[in-house]
Amino acid sequence: MAEAEAVVPQVFTRRASRLVRVMSPYSAFIYNILTMGLIFPWTYVWAPTAFQGSNLVLGILFAFLFELPIALAYTWLATSLPRSGGDYVFQSRVFGGGFGFTVVFAFFVVWILQWVALSGWLMATLGLAPTFIGLGVATKIHAFTSWGTWCATSGGIITISILNALVSLVLLVSGFKNYVRFQYLMWYAILASFGLMLILFFTTSHGAFVSHINSFAASVDGTKNFFGAAKSAAAHAGVNFNPPFYLFGTLMVAPIAWTSLQWASYSVEQGGEIKNAHVFRNQLFIIVGSLAVTAGLLILLAVAMRHGIGQDGILTASSGYWLGNSNALIGGAILMPNLLAIALTTSPVLIAIIGFGYILNSFQIVCNCYIGCTRIMVAQGLDGLLPDWFSRVNARLKTPVNAHVAYFLASIPVIWAFNKVADWSTKWALGVTFANGAVMTLSALAAALLPYRARALYQASPGAKFRWGNIPLVTVLGGLGFALGAFMVGSFLFVKDLGLAYSNGKTPYIIVLLTAVFGLLVYFIMRTFRAQKGVKVEYAFAEIPPE
Amino acid sequence: MPLFRRKGAAGGEPTRLFYASDIHGSEPTYRKFLNAAKFYGVDALVFGGDLMGKLLIPIVRGAEGTWRARLQGQKHHLTTPEQLVQFRKKLDTLGFYSFECDPEEYRWYEGHQDRIDAKFDELAKAKLAEWVALAEERLAGTPIRVYLCGGNDDTDECLLALDEAARDRVVTCENRIVEIDDDHVMATVGYSTPTPWETPRERSDDQIGEVIEKLMSEVADPSRCVLNFHCPPLDSGLDTCMKLDASVWPPAPIIEHGQPVYYGAGSRSVTEALDRYQPTVGLHGHIHESRGSARFGRTTAFNPGSEYGEGVLRGVIVAIRGGQLTGHQFTSG
Repeated sequence: MAEAEAVVPQVFTRRASRLVRVMSPYSAFIYNILTMGLIFPWTYVWAPTAFQGSNLVLGILFAFLFELPIALAYTWLATSLPRSGGDYVFQSRVFGGGFGFTVVFAFFVVWILQWVALSGWLMATLGLAPTFIGLGVATKIHAFTSWGTWCATSGGIITISILNALVSLVLLVSGFKNYVRFQYLMWYAILASFGLMLILFFTTSHGAFVSHINSFAASVDGTKNFFGAAKSAAAHAGVNFNPPFYLFGTLMVAPIAWTSLQWASYSVEQGGEIKNAHVFRNQLFIIVGSLAVTAGLLILLAVAMRHGIGQDGILTASSGYWLGNSNALIGGAILMPNLLAIALTTSPVLIAIIGFGYILNSFQIVCNCYIGCTRIMVAQGLDGLLPDWFSRVNARLKTPVNAHVAYFLASIPVIWAFNKVADWSTKWALGVTFANGAVMTLSALAAALLPYRARALYQASPGAKFRWGNIPLVTVLGGLGFALGAFMVGSFLFVKDLGLAYSNGKTPYIIVLLTAVFGLLVYFIMRTFRAQKGVKVEYAFAEIPPE
Repeated sequence: MPLFRRKGAAGGEPTRLFYASDIHGSEPTYRKFLNAAKFYGVDALVFGGDLMGKLLIPIVRGAEGTWRARLQGQKHHLTTPEQLVQFRKKLDTLGFYSFECDPEEYRWYEGHQDRIDAKFDELAKAKLAEWVALAEERLAGTPIRVYLCGGNDDTDECLLALDEAARDRVVTCENRIVEIDDDHVMATVGYSTPTPWETPRERSDDQIGEVIEKLMSEVADPSRCVLNFHCPPLDSGLDTCMKLDASVWPPAPIIEHGQPVYYGAGSRSVTEALDRYQPTVGLHGHIHESRGSARFGRTTAFNPGSEYGEGVLRGVIVAIRGGQLTGHQFTSG
């Protein structure tokens, strides 16, 4: 008997077992960080004056904690369905195909058109404008300054956004391997850019900042005593420079920071034939680890900015974005974190490094939009829920060219409207966080219900071993993720200063409703169309009983 | 003009086939495959190869009615018969074989690949025989036939069960031309091009080409032939998978610029066959992650992919009539 206790059997394989060495998770870990939008500025330019008295560090920490159970739930989902993963499949499996299609088509595919517009907006206002304005000041070449100023205008943003989307289209259609090579460059560029910003903020005193920003503004706009005037105008616009701590406001920083952190679960694919605990642990590392690192970096930036430009600097900069304080703009550009960092140096090389990272990361975002949404459209086309045209892969290029082209064309009117409709690019900018967050919140719910709605699938997964008492751990985490995600999604819907409720009008809600109705309409139209050809789209999701 | 049109003939009702492949020993997935006929209302079931499971889990008996095993990198200590039943059920879903043994018997196998391989064949053949018998039982009295064949991962020893156990409803179709309906035939080839794992039934691309040509020489009208070729056409999008470094064991993904490299692992000979013969439809498997369709002139080729390890049956329903593909639907059951 003691001898039996000593035997820990190994698994017997044969050469044809198709075992694959488990990939190092580091590459996916790194690229997940890249996807989570280190450069997104809204935590630093929206939250401070929208929620005066809020603590940015605590708010980002709340966002991390709220996102954590969602990210953990995705780990279970990813290892339960490693081959065809993604929110469309997760939700179809648990809630049914009609639900999964409608939610993901409406709140990902359609709403992420706004991310295409946002990416162009970031490219122009966060990337090109600060970089060229900064280079203009550093090199005294006026053309740079003019060009940078143009980038921040409505016409400039629209032109740059369309070109941004077009270049991404061409790159991705030419072959994914070309994009992969480029992505490598982007990672190092954003690291260098972000690192440099932190160094500049941490090595600057408040006094030095004021001196630098005044000199910078004078070079660009000829303004004297820029900071004093901007701060005074901010106070006039309603900014309290010594607000008491505001807990609710700090909680509301979390949905804003969620714009970055919600993408922790983006990388849910994994290769390999055999699921095992290594893979489960790797997914945990990739998803949760990258979330923690990104949250840490966002917190570090908040601390660095507080050190370098002070709370009054943060509030003044924010007033230019949220309160429309035109005295707080330089060259027409909002005082984004990177522009503030650029103003702290006169070296064209450092300015170029900071700018290059932001430009490339903005470009990364539009690429992610294409990659994610065309993948969804191809899957939905194969399932018969979109016309076959969308799922066709070009024989020569081996990419779904049609889906890419369709997405580019659909983004053009959204880009135009995003920059022309009043308040859309500022007050309603995070509507896309709301929509995408809704999808992820529902996927967390799908994870919670996985052991009950897709029992066999769940039982076969490596995460099935983990329980909390009698309850599957994924149910606990998914349930918690759903509740916290619903809190943030609900905040976007009903808290005035998060956007949708800002104007007290019905328009944003009508847009939300219409998008969902549009998704449902597409589902029913395609279902009817296919049925007339003798094809039942329900077969794409309906589970056959094994007995 | 005949009063009743033949099934599958031009002007008549289309013949509906349900195709799936690569279930690799997963019991619930196979049972779903058999039930697919009634569920989807199809006329025949076609399986595209790779029936055999991949891993063998020894369950070692311990003290006082307990068992120990290892699965997915985790140790399992089963202390009740109910736990053992649940564990074996999980193995069934994953497509893994298992056997109970004493510690001494386990040690007899450990480190001896030839004995392990023989045990694989024994269990796989027995399982396949059960599956064939189940198909005969489930489809008895119906007009539905199930066409079974092996793939590159299956051993010839295991596949003997197909011929030995098939009686009425089960048709073993590999390397043969079989009738699908009154108007269409099917040609089946289960081999694949070489893989990093030296699977039992790999052939060079030229060898696959020779087999195809020999088979197709028996087909009077290739336009009314269904090609059931396990290996997908090369660089078609139906054969895209990770490139692996086979110089290490197990093979490791090749990484460039921080990302795995993907490539087409299909067969040039299959591509040439689709282009040359312009059959009614091409049905392929082998690459589990490459679900999709591709056109070769007038012919559409499909790979439904595979998610057997999750107990999900991925397949495709194709409707054919008069040498034409009249409709298709990817399924996920």
